[in-house]
Amino acid sequence: MKKIKTASTTGRQHVIVGNCIAAVSAAETLRKMNPQDSIVIIGEEDVPSYSRCLITYFLGDMITRKHLLSHDAQWYAERNVELMLSSRAEGLDVKNRQVMVRQNGKNKTVSYDTLLVATGSTPIFLPAFPYDPDGIIGMRNYADSVRLKSWAKKGKKAVIIGAGFVGLKSAYGLVKQGVQVKVVELLPTVLGRMTDLEASARVKARLTRHELLEIELNNSVIATRKRGDGYVVTYQDGTEEACDFIVASVGVRACTDFLKDSGVDIDRIVLVDDRQQTSVDGIYAAGDVCRSRHIVTGEWIYNAIWPVAAAGARIAAANMSGEKLTYEGNIPMNSVDFYELWITAIGNVQDEGPDVEEITFKTPAIYQKVKLRGGVPFAFMSIGNVDGAGIIRGAIVGKTPWEEFVRRPNAKVLPVVNSYAADPAATACA
Amino acid sequence: MKAFRFIAENCDLCRKCEEACAQVCGSSKKQSGAYVPHIRVMQSPEGPFMRLCKHCEDAPCVDACIGESLQRGPNGLIIQDEDRCIGCFMCNMVCPHGAMKTIMSQEKAFKCTLMCGKEEKPTCVFACDRGALFFDDLRAQNNEKRRAKLRGYPKK
Ligand SMILES: Cc1cc2nc3c(=O)[nH]c(=O)nc-3n(C[C@H](O)[C@H](O)[C@H](O)COP(=O)(O)OP(=O)(O)OC[C@H]3O[C@@H](n4cnc5c(N)ncnc54)[C@H](O)[C@@H]3O)c2cc1C
Repeated sequence: MKKIKTASTTGRQHVIVGNCIAAVSAAETLRKMNPQDSIVIIGEEDVPSYSRCLITYFLGDMITRKHLLSHDAQWYAERNVELMLSSRAEGLDVKNRQVMVRQNGKNKTVSYDTLLVATGSTPIFLPAFPYDPDGIIGMRNYADSVRLKSWAKKGKKAVIIGAGFVGLKSAYGLVKQGVQVKVVELLPTVLGRMTDLEASARVKARLTRHELLEIELNNSVIATRKRGDGYVVTYQDGTEEACDFIVASVGVRACTDFLKDSGVDIDRIVLVDDRQQTSVDGIYAAGDVCRSRHIVTGEWIYNAIWPVAAAGARIAAANMSGEKLTYEGNIPMNSVDFYELWITAIGNVQDEGPDVEEITFKTPAIYQKVKLRGGVPFAFMSIGNVDGAGIIRGAIVGKTPWEEFVRRPNAKVLPVVNSYAADPAATACA
Repeated sequence: MKAFRFIAENCDLCRKCEEACAQVCGSSKKQSGAYVPHIRVMQSPEGPFMRLCKHCEDAPCVDACIGESLQRGPNGLIIQDEDRCIGCFMCNMVCPHGAMKTIMSQEKAFKCTLMCGKEEKPTCVFACDRGALFFDDLRAQNNEKRRAKLRGYPKK
C-alpha cells in the first residue's frame, strides 16, 4: 500500500472484532485515514494486544512478560481507540449493523458502520484428545502460555501432539523449563510440508540432541485418559505412555462462530474478495480467520501467517475508509531457530511431479533446496545457513527464471546458487 | 525520501564504507571487538554488489517481524528495536535485498537504521572516496534510472 489518504470525516464507527496483529494493524491505518471516526476493538482475551508468535519464547523464559505484552493502554489511548477486553462477540445482526457481545457475564451490543472480523484461529482438538483445562490445552494465547508455565516444573513430563511450527516451538519452550517432552507426529516430517525428509531429519537431530526432548514421527495419539494427577496417552500401535499434561498442536480452525447465520459466507474460513470484503457489504475480514491469495499462482489459499494478517488488515482498513485497494497475497513461508539451527522455508517444498526439478546443496552444516517448475523457482528451503533467503523469495514471487536469477550478483549469497553457478550438473544431481 | 545508491562500476572493494560503518554505528559495535558492519560489499563474477537496507517504501520486513522489533520510524526510515529481536529471521526471509545482517551467535538480525546519526551523509557514504556510494533522493534516483533507460545504459 503506497499512501494513506485522509478520507472525509463523517464520524462513522469502525468496529474490529479480535485484538491481535490484524486488529492493531487495521486500527493504526483506520486512525491515520479517519482522524474523526470512532474505532472500537472487541477482544476476548483479558490482556491488550501482543505478538502471539512470542508466547513460546515467554514460556521458555527467553523473553519477559513485559516484553511479550507490547501494546499497553497508552498504545490505544494515543490512537484514540476504545478497547473492550474480556469481551466475546457472540452474534451479528447484519440488518441493524450490530455485534452482540458478552463481557464479564453481561450482554452488550455494539453498533458499527464498518466491521472488521479479525478473530484469527484457535487450536483443533479431536475426540482422542479433547480440550481439558486441567491438562489438555493448545498453545495459542497468553493464557495458554501462563498455564503451561505453571505446569512446567522440572521433572514433569509433557506429550505434544503435532510437530508443526507451533508444536516444536512449544516443545522448545517447555524443555527450557526442564520439562521432559515427547512430540508425536503423524507425518513423516517435522514442520509440516515445509521440509523434506533430509531437512526434517536435521531439525529433529538438532532438537533431540537435548536429552529431555524426543520426537516420534509416523505415529499418532488415538486416545487419552486421566489417571491420578496426570494422563495416559495411547499411540496408534497400542502402546501407552504416562504424562503430566498434553499440548494439542495438530492445526487450527478459523474463529467464525459469531458469524453463524449472519449471512457472511464461510467455507470453514471467511471468504473475502481481493479488497478483504466479505459477502456482506461493509463487513471485512483479515488475518487467520479468512482466505488470501497465493501471490504466485493467484489461487485462494489459507495462509495463516503473521505477515498476511498485518498486510491484509491494512488493505481492509483502507477499503473501510473508502479507498479502493486490493491485496495481492503472499506465499506460505516460515522461519524459526532451534538451538542456533535456522530453518527458513518458502512455498511447498514437498511438491512433486514429472515437471518438477530440484537443485540441492548439501554440507554437514548446510542444506538448501530449490524446486523449479518450467525452469522457474517455486519453493526454497534452507537449514543451517539462511542468509539472504529473501533474495530467492524475490525470484519466486517475481517468477524469475532460474538461469536468469543465478546470474544476478546478489544471488550468489546463497550457497545453492553459488555452487550451481560453478557447476550446474553437480548441484542439480546432488 | 532518501535512499542509498551503489555504482558497482566505481567500487574497487576497498571496504572503507564497511570499516566506517562498523566503527561508528551503535549496533555494529555490540558485537564485541568483531568487525560487523551493516553495509556489506561483496564480490561476484558479475562484479561487486552491495547489501544494505534500502528503507523500502513498501517494507516487507516490517510486516514480517513477529517480534514487533522492526518499525517504520517517524522520519520514514525503517528502524529497529534490537532488544525486541528474537532472532526468528522472518525479516531475512522477505528482504529482497538480502540486507539483514543475521548474527547466529547472538540470535539476532541487525540492519542499518542510520544510527550513525548522519542522515545528510551517512558514515559509509562519507567514507567512500571512489564515487561508488551515494545517499540521495529517491525521486532523483528514479529520474536517473529513467534517463539511463532512455540512453540504453547501463547495459549489464
Ligand atoms: C506459538 C505460535 C507461533 C507462531 N509463529 C509464527 C511465526 O513464526 N511466523 C508467522 O508468520 N506466524 C506465526 N504464528 C501465526 C501468527 O501468530 C498468526 O498468523 C497471527 O497471530 C494471526 O493474527 P490475527 O490477528 O489474524 O489472529 P489471532 O492472532 O488469532 O488473534 C485473534 C484474536 O481474536 C480473539 N477472538 C477470537 N474470537 C473472538 C470473538 N468471538 N470475540 C472477541 N475476540 C475474539 C482471540 O482471542 C485473539 O486474541 C504463530 C502462532 C503461534 C500460536
